[in-house]
Amino acid sequence: MTRLDSPRVVAYAGLAAFGLLAGLVLGRVELVALAAPFALAAVVGAALTRPPELTGTLVLDRERALEGDDLRASLELSSTQGADRVDVFLPLPLELRTRDGNPRAVALAPGVPRTVELTLACERWGAFALGPALVRSRDRLGFHAWETQVGIRQPLRVYPSVETLRTMLAPLETQVFIGNQVSRARGEGIEFADLREWEPSDRRRRINWRASARRGELWVNEQHPERNTDVVLFLDTFTDVRTSGRGTLDLTVRAAASLAHRYLQRKDRVGVVSFGGFLSWLLPASGTRQLYRIVDSLLQMDVVLSFAAKGIDILPPRTLPPKALVLALTPLLDARSAAALLDLRARGFDLVVIEVSPVPFVRPGADELSQVSYRLWRLSRESLRRRYEQADVPVVEWKDGEALEAVLGEVTAFRRYARPARA
Amino acid sequence: MTLALLSAAVYAGLLMYVTTRKPPIASLLGTVGGLGALLLCFVLVRRWDELLPWALLVLAATYAVAIAARGAEIDEAAPLVGAGLLLCGELAAWSIGERFTIAAERAVVASRAVAVALLTLAGLAVSAVVVSLAAVPVGGGLGWTILGSAAAVLVVALTVRLAR
Repeated sequence: MTRLDSPRVVAYAGLAAFGLLAGLVLGRVELVALAAPFALAAVVGAALTRPPELTGTLVLDRERALEGDDLRASLELSSTQGADRVDVFLPLPLELRTRDGNPRAVALAPGVPRTVELTLACERWGAFALGPALVRSRDRLGFHAWETQVGIRQPLRVYPSVETLRTMLAPLETQVFIGNQVSRARGEGIEFADLREWEPSDRRRRINWRASARRGELWVNEQHPERNTDVVLFLDTFTDVRTSGRGTLDLTVRAAASLAHRYLQRKDRVGVVSFGGFLSWLLPASGTRQLYRIVDSLLQMDVVLSFAAKGIDILPPRTLPPKALVLALTPLLDARSAAALLDLRARGFDLVVIEVSPVPFVRPGADELSQVSYRLWRLSRESLRRRYEQADVPVVEWKDGEALEAVLGEVTAFRRYARPARA
Repeated sequence: MTLALLSAAVYAGLLMYVTTRKPPIASLLGTVGGLGALLLCFVLVRRWDELLPWALLVLAATYAVAIAARGAEIDEAAPLVGAGLLLCGELAAWSIGERFTIAAERAVVASRAVAVALLTLAGLAVSAVVVSLAAVPVGGGLGWTILGSAAAVLVVALTVRLAR
């Protein structure tokens, strides 16, 4: 516990000394009378030096929350001596905000515990550690203060809010394991695909008796099998364009969480590649555990400034399995990620680019030069989009406030009408 | 803001009282006291509490010059000046202490207000006792001078001890 003394105690004693000496020298009782209140205050100040012996605990009502949730932090304080004024301050990251006052000043009675409750609004996803709280107790006149820290660090994970997606992007090719995606291939399944002539190895239940009767020979039904898919979420974390507490990285993380949640629900395998100044990846896997792994990795996502040239060669081969659907979430601002995506397409991956538009976060300047620069920047982005489209890569722009599902619908439409991409 | 205004108002009231005590040098006292008032305003605006004692000292010195120039007549209002000066310092210190937005409970604010009021009243009472004791004809002499000097030295020693 650190003690801080107000300079007033010394100053009052000094003023008292000045008055007494001046009164003595000049022989004036008024100066002694002037000094008397200050002498009294100095004595009172010197007497109020009893430390409050503060103890306390910091407790969060839960360790996990969703973006937009409110949670409660309770700080229980007690003092054997009591404290006339205790200033309590819980340092918070920018992503959390208090709905109540922080810092707050309360009084503590001797031996009576007191709980200070703070309602925290989780405004943005992230992994945080709250605490310890900073506590400063003062005597009634503020002559002395004692500072200490109360409570231990409490972990808090705020998960990004997940958008409900009803329809998902179907990959061009499926994997070999059972799943919910109707494959383009033919085999054992539910969805009818075609008729063909009977072959010796065919099972009797597959015979289409009506077609066989019409043709006079045995014909069998063919079905599309239900298979799973491999989805790789390719997140461009080279840059983040932010304004008023919102940015492209926030949208990227939210979209990635929503897509991972939905694809894993469908029994697909989902992997994540964070391609930026700090490279990280998660190998594709399925199941609830993988969802938690992905969300935890998304919480650590941040922009790290780097000038190193990077290509997809540095990624371990298993992060991008063959026939995987690669969903790239990128603001299309960094040339390295733009080139890496074109490289992926050239290697035959089924690539979809969801452009997390930085345009709503950029305000063009007022002068003519800034306006021209802004227009040129928009044109260069348009040109980059054309390059992707020429490579048969669907590129859809996703702006802040738009539903992700609508954007996925645009991709589906592009794939329906554009020439199918083949490896 | 309210506390700062109250502090400045108390200082202005005391300065007005001091400058009206001795008209011949009122302008000089007013100038010096005005500088002290400016210093107090600077302290309150910039929240620089290290300079607060100097603002109080300037007014105390102005008062000392005023009563020295006045002659042998005792100023019966000296306890009010002393208590007022203490109140001014306490209000200014309180104002500076509240420079950060802290949501304080009503009880905490009331407790400090009561403490400041009690300290000021106690200071006024002690000061009044000093003035009334001076009016008692106990005579002078070396003994009283030594006692007064010892009291002054004691206070100076206390100041040095606290400053360490």
